[in-house]
Amino acid sequence: MRRLSLLALLLVVATAAGCATPNMSKHEKFLEAAPRSILIVPVINKSVDVTAADYMLSTISVPLAERGYYVFPINAVKRMLEDDGLSDSSMVHNASAIKLAALFGADAVLYVTINQWDAKYMVTTTHVTVSIKYQIRSGKTNEVLWENSERLVYAPKNNGGGIAGLIVGAIHAAITKAAPNYMPLAHQVNDKALNVYPGRGIPLGPYAQEQAR
Amino acid sequence: MKCKIGYCLAAVVGFSLLSGCAAHQRYTWDDYDKKVYNYYKSPVEKDEFVKNLKEVLDDSDSDGHVPPGIYAEYGYVMYEQGNSIQAVMYFQKEADKWPESKVFMAKLISNAQKKAKKQEAKPGDPAAAASGVTATTEAKAVVTPEVAK
Repeated sequence: MRRLSLLALLLVVATAAGCATPNMSKHEKFLEAAPRSILIVPVINKSVDVTAADYMLSTISVPLAERGYYVFPINAVKRMLEDDGLSDSSMVHNASAIKLAALFGADAVLYVTINQWDAKYMVTTTHVTVSIKYQIRSGKTNEVLWENSERLVYAPKNNGGGIAGLIVGAIHAAITKAAPNYMPLAHQVNDKALNVYPGRGIPLGPYAQEQAR
Repeated sequence: MKCKIGYCLAAVVGFSLLSGCAAHQRYTWDDYDKKVYNYYKSPVEKDEFVKNLKEVLDDSDSDGHVPPGIYAEYGYVMYEQGNSIQAVMYFQKEADKWPESKVFMAKLISNAQKKAKKQEAKPGDPAAAASGVTATTEAKAVVTPEVAK
């Protein structure tokens, strides 16, 4: 019994360590710049899937805001950039973060690039391999404050078991091919990229710190 | 028995710590991401997007957990529809709630006011009629000096 309680305590300590203080060396520049607001600009899509950019752009603001940052309204920003002649995402990515940040009064700019988004359709299942690069640059100096690349192989849940399961699976894969729902995949890859902290994710922002106090 | 109590205590502490860093949400998003995605997938369904954004706005407003950007997002679709009064009102709300948005909101408010002025100049414009005309004067009144600076 004593051993059990010791085990439980160990678990507690491990859990506590999981959300402990940040690792300074890796995030020094970011913590020094301490951005309060992050501008999300349109995504560059180097993959063959035309829907990928919309999935990434529409899903990225929720996890960033949840980490405690002010995020600018993605649709309004997209439209404003188009009005300023910046409708092409690679043009936006080539623009200096200083210039972009000044347009919106942002502290930092997040650039997302989709390097891979491949779906392999098999008889009963689908595997999607994605590779995404995230980079945050300072709106004051254009310096890279944080970057991370995530690769993920995603297999939507399948109905296993017997011939019936196989048929259901085949139907499922067919439906998926016609109208794939990549929402859960986008959530997963964003979560992996941003929320592992300390680690490769990003530090908590001002609104998360206020709440923690 | 002593052991049992110790075990329970450790478990309770463990759980409370776990919930401390668990993924409970700060804001009421109401599937904002899915709604934006659906709009990008079929941009012709603009009315549906406006309706969906209003849903996010109402739900999050009523529980006091409006996410950053939502007032402005709704204000922007109002602006696009020619409803400058509503647009300015929501841009102002965003600026009041999130000081980080002030530069952008001041710009959007000024754009909305310019649009309202143009509409006033052309009284026959249906968009101006829908937004209740006299848009310029009312829109101006909504802006507090803080943002107009």
